Amino acid sequence: MIDVEHLHKVYGSTTAIRDVTFRVEPGEILGFLGPNGAGKTTTMRILTGYLPATSGTARVADFDVHEDSMAVRQRIGYLPESPPLYLDMTVAGYLTFVARIKGLPAGDRPQRVESAMARCGLEDKQNVLIRKLSKGYRQRVGIAQAIVHDPPVIVLDEPTSGLDPRQNNEVRQLIRSLAGDHTIILSTHILPEVSATCNRIAIINRGQVVAIDSPEALMNKLAGELTYEVEVRGDHAAIQHHLDAVAGVAQVEDLSPDSNVAPHRFRVTAHQGAVPGEAIAATLINAGLGLGELRRHQASLEDVFLNLTTEEPDSDLPEVASTEQPAGEDF
Amino acid sequence: MITSIKTILSNLLAIYRRELQGYFASPLSYVIAAVFWLLGGFFLVVLLLGPDGVIAFAARQDQAVQLGLGAPTVDVAYEFLQYYLGFLGSLSMFILPILSMGLYAEERKQGTLELLATSPITNWVVALGKLLAVATFYTTMVLPLMLCQAIALEASQPAISPTLLVMGHVGLILLATSVLALGMFLSSLTSSTVLSAIMTFALVLFLWIVDALARSLPGASGEALAHLSLLKHFTDFTQGILDTSGIVLFVSYILLGLFLTAQSIETLRFQRN
Repeated sequence: MIDVEHLHKVYGSTTAIRDVTFRVEPGEILGFLGPNGAGKTTTMRILTGYLPATSGTARVADFDVHEDSMAVRQRIGYLPESPPLYLDMTVAGYLTFVARIKGLPAGDRPQRVESAMARCGLEDKQNVLIRKLSKGYRQRVGIAQAIVHDPPVIVLDEPTSGLDPRQNNEVRQLIRSLAGDHTIILSTHILPEVSATCNRIAIINRGQVVAIDSPEALMNKLAGELTYEVEVRGDHAAIQHHLDAVAGVAQVEDLSPDSNVAPHRFRVTAHQGAVPGEAIAATLINAGLGLGELRRHQASLEDVFLNLTTEEPDSDLPEVASTEQPAGEDF
Repeated sequence: MITSIKTILSNLLAIYRRELQGYFASPLSYVIAAVFWLLGGFFLVVLLLGPDGVIAFAARQDQAVQLGLGAPTVDVAYEFLQYYLGFLGSLSMFILPILSMGLYAEERKQGTLELLATSPITNWVVALGKLLAVATFYTTMVLPLMLCQAIALEASQPAISPTLLVMGHVGLILLATSVLALGMFLSSLTSSTVLSAIMTFALVLFLWIVDALARSLPGASGEALAHLSLLKHFTDFTQGILDTSGIVLFVSYILLGLFLTAQSIETLRFQRN
C-alpha cells in the first residue's frame, strides 16, 4: 500500500532523512518511533505530498506522491503534528468543509461526517465552535478530519500528543479499530504507544531507519538476552552442574559472594530464542534443591529504543572540541 | 474534463464559503464594516448638507440663474459622485490591508495551510476562492453606501445616469480587488497578520506615490506610470470613462496577485525545515 524507496531529504546543508526505505502492507499499522527531530514528520510530509523529496520515490496506493500528487492526496488522510483546525467553525461545519475539499461527492458527505463524528466520539460537540473545545477534543476533531473521506491510507503525526491517559487510551482504541480497512502510519516518541497499537515498528534515528519489524521480533532480535536470577539452597557445585545441564541455557554466572554460604545466587543467560524458565525450575526441584526465587529479566522495548537511538560517545567528539576552540578567548 | 471542471468549481465554492463564513464570524470584520460605514456615512452627510456642501452649492447656482447671471456651469451630481467615490477609494485603502492581512498569514499560523496543501486542491483554486470571498465581503460593505448615494442623487437636476453610479462602484470594487489580490500575496509571505497588514499598507502608499508621480511627471515617463497606476484608472471609471485598458489593467493586477500567491505557497514547500 505504501512503498518508500531510498528517500532522501536535504534542507540546505542539513540532511533530514537519509535513504529511508520501507513498505507497509494493506491493513497494517506501522509505528514510526524515534526521538524528536529524527525525521518522522519529514517522512510523513513527503508521503502526504506536503514536501517534495530530494531524491528517492514514495508510492501510496500505487501512485507516486510527486507525480500523481492529486491522486495520492485523495487517498490519504493526514493529521499533522498540530491539528489543522479552523477555530471559528463548528465541528460539523469543519468536517463538512474537509469532506468537500477532499472531493467527497455531495450525496455522501452528511453520512460520512456523521460516521467520522461517531467514531471519534464527537456527536455531542457537533455544533460547538472548535475554539471552545479542549485539547483532547481538538485532537479528536483532527483525527475525524483525517478519516472523514474514508481514505485507504491514514497518516497520523503524534496522534496522542497532549492527551491525558484516558483520552490516550481512547485514541489508541480508535486507531486499532481503524486498522484492517485502512493502512495506517503513525509516529510517536512514546514507547508503550507503539507496542500497544502497531503491527510493525520502524525505529528512526537521525534520519535513518535503524530497525523495522514487529514489536515482538524487534524485542527478540535486539533486546537480545533473556536472563534469570535464581536463588537456590543446596550444594554449590551440584547447583552449578544442574543449571549447566538445562536445555537452552547458554551461561551460568555465580553471583554469591561466598560459595560456602547458602542460599546461592546465580544468573542464568538463555540462548537466543530459548525460554528455559520452566525447565530450570523443574530441574532444580527434581534434584531436591531448595528453589527460593526465580526471576526473569528481559530488556523492554524501551531498552531497545534507547539502545538504538542513544548517541554513543564516538570518535568525532574530539573533533567537535577542536572546531570549537577557535571561538575561545585565547584565539 | 467535465468532471474535473466540476471538482474545481466544487473546491472553489468550498474555499469561498469557508472564507466568507470566516469574515462573517469574526468580530474584527464587523468593526471594520462599522468604521467604514460610519466614516462613509459621515462624509456623505457633510458633502451633501455641510455649509460648503453640494446642496448649498446647488442652491447658490440656482440663485445665480434666477438673477440672470448665466446658466449653471457645473453638473453638481456628477461632481458629487466623483468626489465621493474618490473619498471611498481613499478610505478603502486604509481598510483593505486589514481585510487581506489574515488570508494566508492566519492559515500559516494555525497550521491549516498543511490541510489545504495535502488536500486534492490546487493552490490556484485556494487563492481564487479566498480572493472572491474577500472581494464579496468588501462588496457587501460598499453596497449600502451606494444605495445611500442613489437615494441622495435621485432628485438631482440634471438627473444622473444610473450607469454612471454603477460604473463608478464597479471601478471601486475592481480597484479594491486588485489591492486585495496583492495583499493576499503579501499575506502568504508571513505567518504574522500584523506584518502582513503593514506590508500591504506600504504597498498602498507605493500605489499613491506612483499615482502622484504619474500626475506630476512630464513626458513619456509620466504617461508610462499613468498606464500602470491603479488609482488613475479608478478615477477614469468614476468619470464614466469606460476604457478597456483600464479593465485590462485591473484584471492584470488581480491575476498577478493570484499568480504570485500560488507561486509563493508552492515555494513554501521547498523552504520549510
